[in-house]
Amino acid sequence: MIQIQDLSFTYKNGESPALQEISLTVPDGGFLGIIGPAGAGKTTLARAAAGIIPHHYPGDFYGSVTVNGLDTVDSSIIDLSRLVGMVFQDVDSQIISPLVEDEMLYGLENFGVSREEIPQRMEEALEKVGIADLRDRSIASLSGGQRQKVAIASIIALKPRILVLDEPTGELDPRSSRQIFSLLKELNEEQGITIILIEQKIMLLCEFARQLAVLSKGRIVRQGDTREVLSHAEELQALGVNCPRVTTLSRVLSEKTGAEQPVCINLDEAENMVRRLIP
Amino acid sequence: MNNLFQYVPGHSLIHRLNPVTKIFLTIVICIAAFLTDRLLFLAGLLAVDLLIGIVAGVANRTWNIFRGLLKIAAFLFLLQALLTRKGTPVFWIITDQGLLTAGKVVLRLVVVCMPLALVLAVTRITDLTNAMVQVMHVPYPYAFTLSTAIRFIPQFLEEMAGIMEAQTARGVAFDKARGLKKFSMILPLCAPLLISSVRRTDQTAVAAEARGFHLRTRTSGYKQYPFTGIDLGAAAFCLLLLTGAMLL
Ligand SMILES: Nc1ncnc2c1ncn2[C@@H]1O[C@H](COP(=O)(O)OP(=O)(O)OP(=O)(O)O)[C@@H](O)[C@H]1O
Ligand SMILES: [Mg+2]
Repeated sequence: MIQIQDLSFTYKNGESPALQEISLTVPDGGFLGIIGPAGAGKTTLARAAAGIIPHHYPGDFYGSVTVNGLDTVDSSIIDLSRLVGMVFQDVDSQIISPLVEDEMLYGLENFGVSREEIPQRMEEALEKVGIADLRDRSIASLSGGQRQKVAIASIIALKPRILVLDEPTGELDPRSSRQIFSLLKELNEEQGITIILIEQKIMLLCEFARQLAVLSKGRIVRQGDTREVLSHAEELQALGVNCPRVTTLSRVLSEKTGAEQPVCINLDEAENMVRRLIP
Repeated sequence: MNNLFQYVPGHSLIHRLNPVTKIFLTIVICIAAFLTDRLLFLAGLLAVDLLIGIVAGVANRTWNIFRGLLKIAAFLFLLQALLTRKGTPVFWIITDQGLLTAGKVVLRLVVVCMPLALVLAVTRITDLTNAMVQVMHVPYPYAFTLSTAIRFIPQFLEEMAGIMEAQTARGVAFDKARGLKKFSMILPLCAPLLISSVRRTDQTAVAAEARGFHLRTRTSGYKQYPFTGIDLGAAAFCLLLLTGAMLL
């Protein structure tokens, strides 16, 4: 469980606070999506949730962040790193090794996974992300999207209880993006892994995340169940966050028919609604 | 330039040597080059360098490294030959002694630099640093610094090429400039590149810490690096080189 209370943070060399009075709770086994325009503070929030802020980025830190009962300010980065796995927005700076296989091994070796278990964990993670064939390649020879998958696989192999992913599909094609999202859903539902996912692809995010938080200028302007947050479509639009087209459709239909239609968050629901309205 | 330092996959005898043995062999060649004072022995060492490259199946790379070194060597040769004042003149102010010393200096340089570059061609950086930590007990942070530095070389060059391409598209004629002129055009680009590299390495350090950097111990490596028969053979060869350098 991640509990954030009244968190405000200003980077040491930043002029204005990157985060202001953030309060947020992600329950065990939760799946939270975070969305917001560029510079809203999404990455900063992810860093705070993983304990990288304030440990690595100096600045003014107010409020508290607790991860499974550990206060991030008082706990060491070592204890936190056993709990939380984070996929960085900038993959190139996340990748440490020159070869895919070494990158996969790095965390497994450090966290003391046994020799017998390592090959299986590595293969499983590569398989799940769909890059088993890249195992012997050098990082320099991979495309941006492939590197992104390597970064995700290297974190998933560590089996952390909490996963924080900062725009992990930024360089992926729609099909690969969906594959990663499905994988996250599977980890979330079958292994109870708590997920915090920052994403610009609103359609996918709304389909998979159970909760949404909308960030703007360092503040949370909306948070709650995905459906509830989406019912404030106009407000989101004004902030520069587009809504999924199915959501817009249900809103427009509510206006046109004069009867309140339930907010749709995926294609199936939209289809059902349209079928209901057109007998 | 871009791939002068990159690993070339392979299963040759040289590839299969223990990384520590490769470092040892490199050092022995260096020591031998400084111990001997005979031109012929230095030429022999150069032949050993080239042979190692050929046996490792990286003849192309070896040739490229050799050619790169030759430019620096030619410059040094000229300088040394012009500056030595002993011996009898053979041509203008150049003496026979001068030629001999210049030849030795230059050969030594090439002989010493070649294996340093070749090691990177036939060893994965991770194997190199892991073996250094496991076998030679080098503290991990040092090994990590080394491997990170080497890992960022291709990325640095890639970014440099990107910037130059962008500048060329804006009409800067990098391709027409040569020598010092080209150098002076590239130099101003280095500062912003260096800054972005430092920022990136900083983030890489964070990424390493988030994946248990501080938990790593000497025995953390998954792969192990036992010494085998070929390492024994290489050691014997090293002994031979050293004795030769001292006796000949
Ligand atoms: N290392 C840093 N030092 C100083 N200021 C920073 C640093 N990182 C981010 N900031 C500032 O904090 C604010 C929030 O940035 P952040 O990276 O969290 O936004 P974001 O929502 O992730 O944006 P994007 O969608 O572009 O990734 C910005 O004003 C940014 O300039
Ligand atoms: Mg960001």
